[in-house]
Amino acid sequence: MATPLSLRFCATLVALLPFAAVADIWHGDQHAGVLRFVATQAGAKFQGHFGEFKVRFDFNPAEPAKGSLDVTITTDSADSADAERDEVLHGRDFFWTERFPEAKYHAEGFTRDGKGWIAAGELTLRGVTLPVAVRFELKPKAQRLGMKGGVTLRRLEFGIGQGDWAETTWIGNPVDVAFDLSLQQETAAAGP
Amino acid sequence: MPVRNTPVRYGSVAQTLHWVIVGLLIVQFTLGKIAEDLPNGLDKLVILARHKSFGITILALALLRLAWRFHDRPPPLQPMPRWQAIAARISHAALYTLLFAMPLTGWMMSSASNYPVSWFGFVQLPDLVAPDHALKEVLREVHGTLSNVLIALVSLHLLAALKHQFIDRDGLIFRMLPWRPR
Repeated sequence: MATPLSLRFCATLVALLPFAAVADIWHGDQHAGVLRFVATQAGAKFQGHFGEFKVRFDFNPAEPAKGSLDVTITTDSADSADAERDEVLHGRDFFWTERFPEAKYHAEGFTRDGKGWIAAGELTLRGVTLPVAVRFELKPKAQRLGMKGGVTLRRLEFGIGQGDWAETTWIGNPVDVAFDLSLQQETAAAGP
Repeated sequence: MPVRNTPVRYGSVAQTLHWVIVGLLIVQFTLGKIAEDLPNGLDKLVILARHKSFGITILALALLRLAWRFHDRPPPLQPMPRWQAIAARISHAALYTLLFAMPLTGWMMSSASNYPVSWFGFVQLPDLVAPDHALKEVLREVHGTLSNVLIALVSLHLLAALKHQFIDRDGLIFRMLPWRPR
């Protein structure tokens, strides 16, 4: 009976192999997938995306508490497929990209949540830093790591929408942010 | 007034649909004009959202009206010169066409600019086309041009009705009015 058990152990090790390489660090940007947002205007949901962002994901499933996730988003790359709306979105009343060119997310340590994970990190957006828990799922692929998840933010907590735009009848407060990425592992030769 | 059309007059269903659409068209032209002159901002968003909701309402009423027209045929035209009868048929067909074309091009324009349409915030309508800036610009031109054509046709329609009333004095206008000639 010892053989099947050790076989099973071996199988487990093989399954974990993609994670157990030299570095547990994964990278991705706008070419590795999408980072989109869904907001509500006049009762209708519309979708946009960020055309420029960077992800650094340090993760070892054996030690999830030691991992970290860093996302840097170029706010000026927010694209809602309408030039007039993008102008407002990049302007002072929304992202104020001139003054806050980047939004950052930083999390340290991950906890299990069913089939997925939760990163209890902090998001800095338009100069406001607040705790934001992002849920995601991982799917190892050949040479890559699929990472998919999202979070619902309340835009007004970050001051996204000043003046007239601070009302929520016409511009909804909740904004869904979702990502679907295919991260590449950092190798000793080719660092970030 | 009877519900259905009589040989000389439209019934209450056809008349109600006619006049409610007239009222909504006036609202639509007003909102459209106001929005055109507004700078980018919340006011413009609100005005345009209303414009879209009323537009979808007109589309639904136009469908209903067309269906009713097939169910309850309009009273035959009064005796008039042949060219007038033909002109009346053509302009009525064109008016119906525009009652559909205006909201549909507006709806497509909204979809093309990634501003999905919600009917008064109750229900979000599906997008007719994918976001496309070039297509949106074309549709904006088409929607604007058609609105001018609609103004011209409505004016013609109104002038023709007034001509029948005040020049021909044939009482034709009462076909579409809730009260009877005195």
